[in-house]
Amino acid sequence: MASSSSSSKTGLKKMLTLKSSDGDEFELEESIVIQCQTIKHMVEDGFSLIPLQNVDTKTLTKIIEYMKKHAEKTESNKEEIKNFNKEFVKGSFDDQFELVSAANYLHINGLMDLLCQSIADRINNKSVRAVREIFNISNDYTPDEEEKVRDEHKWAHEGGEFDESLD
Amino acid sequence: MGAGISGLVDHEKVTSNTNGLSEIRLGDLPESCIALVLTYLDPIEICKFGRVNRTFRQASLTDVVWEPKLPENYQILVKNYHLDEESCSLTKKEIFARLCRPNHFGSSQNKAFWMEKNRGVCVCISWKEMKITGIEDRRYWSHMLSDESRFSTVAFLKQIWWVEVEGNLEFEFPAGNYSLFFRLQLGKTSKRLGRRICTVDQIHGWNIKPVQFQLSTSNGQQATAQYYFNEPGKWINYHVGDFVVDKYSSMTTKLKFSMTQIDCTHTKGGLCLDSLLILPTEIGSRK
Repeated sequence: MASSSSSSKTGLKKMLTLKSSDGDEFELEESIVIQCQTIKHMVEDGFSLIPLQNVDTKTLTKIIEYMKKHAEKTESNKEEIKNFNKEFVKGSFDDQFELVSAANYLHINGLMDLLCQSIADRINNKSVRAVREIFNISNDYTPDEEEKVRDEHKWAHEGGEFDESLD
Repeated sequence: MGAGISGLVDHEKVTSNTNGLSEIRLGDLPESCIALVLTYLDPIEICKFGRVNRTFRQASLTDVVWEPKLPENYQILVKNYHLDEESCSLTKKEIFARLCRPNHFGSSQNKAFWMEKNRGVCVCISWKEMKITGIEDRRYWSHMLSDESRFSTVAFLKQIWWVEVEGNLEFEFPAGNYSLFFRLQLGKTSKRLGRRICTVDQIHGWNIKPVQFQLSTSNGQQATAQYYFNEPGKWINYHVGDFVVDKYSSMTTKLKFSMTQIDCTHTKGGLCLDSLLILPTEIGSRK
């Protein structure tokens, strides 16, 4: 479905195939894909078809979009990349978590930094309750433990008005 | 009934196989990812989010999160000022906490440094560390206890013709821009029936000629300022000047500073001297 058709143009370049967990295959130049440390190591081990069992098609498409853009990075298009990054991190929290999870699995450091920065910006100043809700995290503290953790940093929990919104 | 159970089993299968990715929440991510998110937050936020759950708490304690919050020369500060006295290996968070409290310089209780937000290191030096004209002569000066001083003591100048206050400092400032201030007050404050009272009757001679302030560093930076004093009853940080510590300067910055009023045509008095304050310029300009 989504396999690349540029192989004729780049016939001399070494191509690799990434396979998503949904079974879709994506053909890409090696030079683009080696931004991703996990794949780089597999390439070094001689793989050319790389199954990514933890990454679905939707997420992989986004990640390829990122890697293609960042493979074009030069001294002169810094501004363009910056704008691309800005657009790239727009989207729901759920989308971002899937991307972080995949980027972490694939070891794409630049993308990890970008996404974590973006998530941090979005949860900055939110209440603990809002963060639990957003991340769908259950509170696994016993009430006693939570009290203890709270006491440890009393100053961090007092005075401020925290943002309870979930977007 | 049976159908209900098999439905449940099917659901478990879906969420546990690889397509379960659509179920991912940040809470399921490894601690290292959460730590990376926390790295971009400020210390208060990091501590606050330690309360979210156990994984967040673990992440909020890791060195990765705290190292960027420390001054780049924190290892030197820890070593030279024995911040690690009780335990030999502190976590980065513990180092952060120790740097944030007032730390004395070795045996001297009259000098302290601490870290403020954004890794800025501040230094405060009591008048007791300075060389002051006639300071031991009770005709000129009285030494007073004061809860308005970081060091609990201020020097009150009753009356004098000629006054020079000098001091110096050697300190391992992290790279950055710093501002230097003298903390002074016209008039003597005391408490009466729980109220702050300022005695102003001894104030004289500060509005005739300005007081000269100087700052110099061992690498040739200099600054001067002059001020008339005419606002009794409140502590004022008189800005002497700024200096820069760059990444390439030697490990220790040496400073000399002074305050002089040596016009002998009139006497002056009624002034409280507390301390010298050095703040990152970014913080200093807000005070």
